[in-house]
Formats: sequence, structure tokens, C-alpha cells
Amino acid sequence: MAKKLKVLLFFITFFVNGYMNISAEQLPKLFPFEKGDALKEWQEKIFKGKVLYSVIVNRKNGYLSAFSQNTASGIFYKLSFNPKKEPMVSWKWKVLKFPGKTNKVTDKNNGIEKDDYAARFYVIFPRLAFNLTKAMEYIWDETLPEGTIITSPYFKNIKLMVVESGKENLGKWVYEERNVYADFKKAFGREPGEAGAIALMTDTDNTASTAEADYDEIKVGYKK
Amino acid sequence: MKENRRRKKFIGTPFQKKILLLVFVAMIVPAGIIAFCLYYLIFNLLAWQLGIPENVAYNLLPVAHRVNLIILIALPITLLVIWRIALELSHRIAGPLYRLEKELDERLVFDKKGPIQVRQKDELSSLAKKINKLIAKYGGGPCS
Repeated sequence: MAKKLKVLLFFITFFVNGYMNISAEQLPKLFPFEKGDALKEWQEKIFKGKVLYSVIVNRKNGYLSAFSQNTASGIFYKLSFNPKKEPMVSWKWKVLKFPGKTNKVTDKNNGIEKDDYAARFYVIFPRLAFNLTKAMEYIWDETLPEGTIITSPYFKNIKLMVVESGKENLGKWVYEERNVYADFKKAFGREPGEAGAIALMTDTDNTASTAEADYDEIKVGYKK
Repeated sequence: MKENRRRKKFIGTPFQKKILLLVFVAMIVPAGIIAFCLYYLIFNLLAWQLGIPENVAYNLLPVAHRVNLIILIALPITLLVIWRIALELSHRIAGPLYRLEKELDERLVFDKKGPIQVRQKDELSSLAKKINKLIAKYGGGPCS
């Protein structure tokens, strides 16, 4: 019985991975943004208008630049890794302009008016049932203190963790390294399953303002 | 042969109950599995297409809630329709058998004469005809 169940689960996983097109790539996966066509392997996902994502290549190296003007769209990469085995992710980011947030927040919208961030790094944990999918977002916020974990006003399965705060490092590259397994456990109170995608987003749709950020040297799925 | 339609669909014999349950389960289970798979396949594909979790939550979840509500309303009606079809099908099989058994009992116990009356469209009409021929051959009654 257990063997039959294992075979069935194998086929379900195979089928699900097939139709979701999640690739089992060599880990750690690096995204150095060193070539002009580096965004080819990413998918653009538009939420409310297009954010301008472009790869800027210098003589020495390259990076990803994001400029948002009253828009929200992200770039998305399907990649499977087990946070229990390879829990680490790291990246470099630089905020050039924060979204213009006001202090007016009405309870009616559950704080959606403030749900804009200059830079977000997502780790997405898909499940067989779409409504059980969870997402861990690392954000750089202007005001919220570092280490703060908040629930997205959109959905309880999205947790936002502030990993960089304030204007002190505005315009400077900041390196982040996170243990996804530990962060997920802290945010959701349970162990994460297999991760299925990462994403980046700079958005200003709720504040109707502009924001600008750069991303670079993304590394996913490794042990420290 | 007199064609009188059966009004009572549920005769309540153990055989009909068994057939009714079998037909009902045989219709419900595959339909349920297909509906469940399609529901999650479509919504999962849409969720992947939308990608950004906030986008999924903002655009897809309200649609899913609406679909769930429609399913909740439509489910009892669907179950009722499936039950009605299962009852009809079970009766088509169990009804003639019950009638044949009754006819044979009347002949064996109450010494009734004449051919067994069956409806032309009954599934067991050919069997009844053969029994009538047998009665005619050994019992001397007229064959119909």
C-alpha cells in the first residue's frame, strides 16, 4: 500500500512539475546579470502596469535596474530547491528612491495603500492547491524596523520580512544573505516545503509615486 | 401487450438498492475526481501565469471564491440529478426482474395461468418470452 502510494505521489509530483514547468537546476543557481540578455531566462509578471526592468552592463560588471512609476510588475524565475537541504539565498540590492508613502491608512483596505516597497525579493513555495501556496518576501522599507515580519494585506499566506530599513544606505549596494528555512519557520510557524520560484519586484501602484532600485549577484540554494 | 408505465421508481428490493448505490457511486466518483482535478489544474495554471503572489491573491482568489459559491449552490442540484438518473437506471434493471419474479411466484404459489406479462421495452422481455415458451411447452398454456 505504501509502495503504491509512493508511486502515485511520484507520478503526481512528476506531472505537477511538468505542467508547472519547474526546473530542477544545478544548485546554487547564480544570477550575475553580466550580459545584456540576462533577463531572457526570467518571466515578467504584470500586476498593475509595467515596471521598467533592464540589465545595465558596465565595463566591469552588470546589474538589474528597476524603475517603477505608479506600476507594479515583477520578474519571476521558476526554480526548485529544498530549503531544508540548501537553505541560503543571497543578493545585493541598492535603493535609489523609495515610494512616497503617506501616513494615511484606512482600516478599510487593510493597509494596501502602504503596500509598496522599493525592493522586494520573493521566495515562493507552491503547493498542489494554489490557495495553499506561500510566499516569503524580503523587503527594504523606509520606515519599518529591521526584522519586522508583517502579513501582506492581500493574503495571509504572504509574509513580508524587513531585512533592510531606512535611508542610511540609500544609493549604496547592500549585501543580504538569508536562511530561508529559518525565516519561513519564524514567519509561518512551520517548516517550509519545496520552493518553486523566486521573484523580484519594485512597486509603486498603491502610493501612485515612483521608486527605483537595483539588484545584483543573486545566489539561490546553498549551504553555509 | 398492455404498456403501463411504472410510476414508482423505487421498489426497494435489495437488488435495486445495490444497483442504485453502484450506479450513483460510479457516476459521482469519476465526476468528482475530474471536477476536482480540473478545478485545481485551471487555478494552478492561472496562479503560475500570474506569478507574483499579490497578483494571485488580488485577482485569482476572488474568482476562486465566486466559483466555490457557484459550486456550493450547484452541487446539491447536481447530486439530485445524478440520484434521479441512478434511480431511473437502477429501476430499468431491477424493475423487470422484480416483475418477472412476481409473475413466476404467482404461477408457482397461486397457480395463476397464462403467459407472463412483460413490457416490450423491458430489458428482460426476451427472457420472459423464453419462459412463456417453456410454460407453453410443458404447462400447455398459450404462448405470447
